[in-house]
Amino acid sequence: MNTAPDSDKVLEIRDLQISFSSIAGTTRAVNGVSLDVRSGEIVGLVGESGCGKSVTIRSIVGLVPSPPALFEAGEIWLRTRRGMTETLSLHKNMKALRQIRGRDVSMIFQEPMRSVHPMMTIGKQITEGILEHEVVDPAEAYERTVEMLDLVGLPNPAAQMNRYAHELSGGMRQRALIALALVCHPQLLLADEPTTALDVTIQAQILELIRDLRERMSMSVLLITHNMGVVANLADRISVMYLGKIMETGTVEEIFKEPAHPYTQGLLASMPSLFSQPKTHLQSLRGVVPELAMVPKGCVFADRCPYVMPKCDETPPVVELRADHSAACWLYADGGETQGSEVAETAMPALSDEGARADPLQPVDVAPLSSSEPTSEGALGRPSENDVAQLQIENVALHYPILRGLLRRQVGTVRAVDGVDLTIRRGETLGLVGESGCGKTSVGRLVARLVEPTAGRIRFGADGGLEEITHISQKEMKRVRRAMGMVFQDPLSSLNARMNIRNIVGEPLMLHQVARGRAVDDRVGELLEMVGLRAAHQSRFPHAFSGGQRQRIAIARALATEPSFLVADEPVSALDVSVQAQILNLLLTLQQRLNLSMLFIAHDIAVVRHVSDRIAVMYLGKIVELGEAREICVRPVHPYTEALLASIPLPMPGLETLREMPKGDLPDPANPPTGCRFHTRCPYSQPICEEEEPPLRHIAGDADHFGACHFQDELYLEGVEEIGEIQGSAAAKAGGK
Amino acid sequence: MRTYILQRFLQMIIVMVVVMLVSFIIVELPPGDFLTTLREQLTDQNVDPKVIDSTVEMYRARYGLGENWFIRFGKWAWSLMKGDMGYSMQHNRPASELMGERLSLTIWISIATLIFMFVVSVPIGMLSAIKQYSAWDHSFTFLALLGVSVPSFITALVFLLLSVTLLGATTVAGLFSPEYVTAEWSWAKFVDMLKHVWIILFIVGLGDTASTIRVMRARMLDTLGEPYIDTARMKGLSGAKIYFRHALRVAINPIISSIGLRFPQIISGSTIVAIVLTLPLIGPLLLEALLGEDVYLACSILVVLTLALVIGNFLADLALAWLDPRIRFES
Ligand SMILES: Nc1ncnc2c1ncn2[C@@H]1O[C@H](COP(=O)(O)OP(=O)(O)O)[C@@H](O)[C@H]1O
Ligand code: SF4
Ligand code: SF4
Ligand SMILES: [Mg+2]
Repeated sequence: MNTAPDSDKVLEIRDLQISFSSIAGTTRAVNGVSLDVRSGEIVGLVGESGCGKSVTIRSIVGLVPSPPALFEAGEIWLRTRRGMTETLSLHKNMKALRQIRGRDVSMIFQEPMRSVHPMMTIGKQITEGILEHEVVDPAEAYERTVEMLDLVGLPNPAAQMNRYAHELSGGMRQRALIALALVCHPQLLLADEPTTALDVTIQAQILELIRDLRERMSMSVLLITHNMGVVANLADRISVMYLGKIMETGTVEEIFKEPAHPYTQGLLASMPSLFSQPKTHLQSLRGVVPELAMVPKGCVFADRCPYVMPKCDETPPVVELRADHSAACWLYADGGETQGSEVAETAMPALSDEGARADPLQPVDVAPLSSSEPTSEGALGRPSENDVAQLQIENVALHYPILRGLLRRQVGTVRAVDGVDLTIRRGETLGLVGESGCGKTSVGRLVARLVEPTAGRIRFGADGGLEEITHISQKEMKRVRRAMGMVFQDPLSSLNARMNIRNIVGEPLMLHQVARGRAVDDRVGELLEMVGLRAAHQSRFPHAFSGGQRQRIAIARALATEPSFLVADEPVSALDVSVQAQILNLLLTLQQRLNLSMLFIAHDIAVVRHVSDRIAVMYLGKIVELGEAREICVRPVHPYTEALLASIPLPMPGLETLREMPKGDLPDPANPPTGCRFHTRCPYSQPICEEEEPPLRHIAGDADHFGACHFQDELYLEGVEEIGEIQGSAAAKAGGK
Repeated sequence: MRTYILQRFLQMIIVMVVVMLVSFIIVELPPGDFLTTLREQLTDQNVDPKVIDSTVEMYRARYGLGENWFIRFGKWAWSLMKGDMGYSMQHNRPASELMGERLSLTIWISIATLIFMFVVSVPIGMLSAIKQYSAWDHSFTFLALLGVSVPSFITALVFLLLSVTLLGATTVAGLFSPEYVTAEWSWAKFVDMLKHVWIILFIVGLGDTASTIRVMRARMLDTLGEPYIDTARMKGLSGAKIYFRHALRVAINPIISSIGLRFPQIISGSTIVAIVLTLPLIGPLLLEALLGEDVYLACSILVVLTLALVIGNFLADLALAWLDPRIRFES
């Protein structure tokens, strides 16, 4: 014990145990984690939130405050310029720890918006780090900072030196933070969810940057994420963490091709990918991550595991399945007697034999939400045969004035929505996708008449034919709203915290005089069961529920008046993958059962594709492409759609896209580029694009597919292959190994 | 930046004008003519009728009495700006004479109290946050709670009592030892004042200091939990650099912006203490004027205090802009 690991390793964590003490008692957040990172390697640490990932990597550099943390056991060996150092024992030695921070190991954090000091220039913040560790004169530190800013791809680095955080976008701040972290050439970069708070296109850029810098600066990276897709393209090896324990470790290929641990399988299956069968249930993990105090004894995953067996009451051993692939699960341990590759070989097929369940790519029935739910077969909720429009918006615009100064003078206009036409048919789900700030939410609010449209016409068919609702009074709108439900992104802030569930869900019933008194209780109970909650929970308050449960409550409320139309604005973006899958499944089930039409708004095109019949892609207030969901993903015609598709990290290692990423950030919507609004970031831009605005028009030879690119009939853009093809290519890869 | 300063400056002017207008309306409100009252009073005092006539005439001209209201307002405002504070009915003296020394003493004591508050509370609050849950933190959290909840006049009384019973002192009250009270200003008098003034600073500033300790501690804790502080830690910076260079400037922001608001608090706080300890401050004079419906005096005091307040606010805004780039760039 206490011996330094071999020199090939940059980091080795051995059996780390960390508890937090509070008045309520002591809970163990990290429970025997072992993990290593070798030279030049990118290791991904994956798991749902609250599983102890952050605590683990923050303890490497002494960033976990103690108290309340108790470091109960373990060693953390880090390669520093003075040789292998055990950092856990340095926690009391601030001076030694400080010499390591920023010089041997650096860290970037989840929220770039809040991780840059708001009152110091970027330049000063970075040079400060150099001057702390090295004896250099300020001029040289300045030079090096500019160089570093250039290296991380900030345009005009010398000018960035004097800028403040609020002058940079999220993506630029994360670049600046990476520059700050790497300016002293550390050997190890710790990245805690570095792209979670960023838009998909920006996320893709930052991941690319990290990959690129790893080579250039010959460093290792330990990357935390809850998104399997992020690590698939970036990491060499992956450790999957759940409730303070490592469940499975392996090379990225092994983990994705042959995930062994039921938790890993569940995580993979929960993600709607660009290959999944649209409009089918995702095979989501059961339940949610339990409170640390409620963790099952033995295997911590037992309460959510589909393979749980009596033996799982005991802590499962870590079984070496192959060299470099291990899992902590009884499925692979033969009673703990023989361990090793033979067991793995025999156990693996046994798992695969269970067929569809184990294969994350296959659509599978989900565990029923409530007993009354009908089991589904095949694709759900196709648009009904009678192709009637339920919602039609024509040339709708929403302009917000920008007011400045003492007298609130109008100094400009944000054209949040700038001439949009859309039709949603009865029973159809239309997905609206685009980066944040492109106007998606505004469209949703316009449709629900939560804002006054600046121009255009909105027609909605509550029960009969379409009626114009563009400017009808709030009183008339109340009648229309009965047929229109809404679900928002943040389930907590959209539910009144001081109302109990009965009143939250029952409010629309009383408002529309659908029911009163006892009848409300009954109906609310019904609704709660319909969304997979217990009717008996009516008297509780929103705070007593988890994020996913709150979103279920919000859905129950939206459906209280039996609407025929639902606006869902980013309903799953704030949720963990497994919960996200549960909510998507619920929406799909309900849509089919209640024959809902839906406007589904999200920034993640994979999620949108999964639930939608048709997709509208939005950019800076305009629809740039519109068509059948799969068609758009397979054969996009607008370069922006291609970019969105390329930005989705594919949960398929090796399948990284070679397409060009969109450059830069979303332009200022108050001052959109002339001509084609995408030309500043479009890799195919031609001179004409800067002058003439391309209208939304048919694609040659396809009446249902629209695009707004000058060259849509000439460009050959790359989409994402279909399921059959992808399995073929995965098999080919496996054969090639 | 320039537009920001200009904006704040304009705001300052607007506030001043509004306060002056309101004061003016109050001055004009009481029934009966000011001149008649004045004449009656002077007659009662058996002043020479000629002098009465000329005095009344002087005030009529100065305040444009009998003319249009906005001319009257203009004249009143103009004379205020020239330092003529009007005439006190109660004391039969020009208001400026009454206010003179009291006003400057009040302003100095307020500024000294502010400085005292800052110098004491910022470091204590900061240290309490840094050493959260330590003995230091617990004791100051308790003391601060005490300081916030005990009214300052009680503290003043306790002080009086203690110094009389324990120290046998006879001169705690007041700003000066008896021999200096009426003396001309001199170095000795100044030194004598310093000996007395710290008690006053302590008593007047205690409540504000305590509440500032609490604000500072809470703000510092919030700031230390911010991700950019983690960024700073990960550079390998020392604790001192993190606390002073990175955290303090953010945490102290709301305290600076509240300076302007503290000023009236200090004035009202010091008034009560001044009454208990019989200090020659402006507060008791204002109270007296208000009780005696001495409108000119009351309004003049109000206007002057408001002026001090808006200037204080303006300076705080400038300091904020200098500290915080976000404000600088806002406009
Ligand atoms: N400072 C702290 N005090 C008490 N509990 C903490 C603290 N930091 C983290 N925890 C607990 O440790 C567990 C793991 O948290 P974390 O490492 O942030 O998870 P992850 O990064 O995987 O989302 C959580 O239950 C969290 O509540
Ligand atoms: S040990 Fe048992 S409960 Fe745990 S993952 Fe394996 S089969 Fe499931
Ligand atoms: S019109 Fe031009 S700039 Fe716009 S998307 Fe097409 S090629 Fe790109
Ligand atoms: Mg985390």
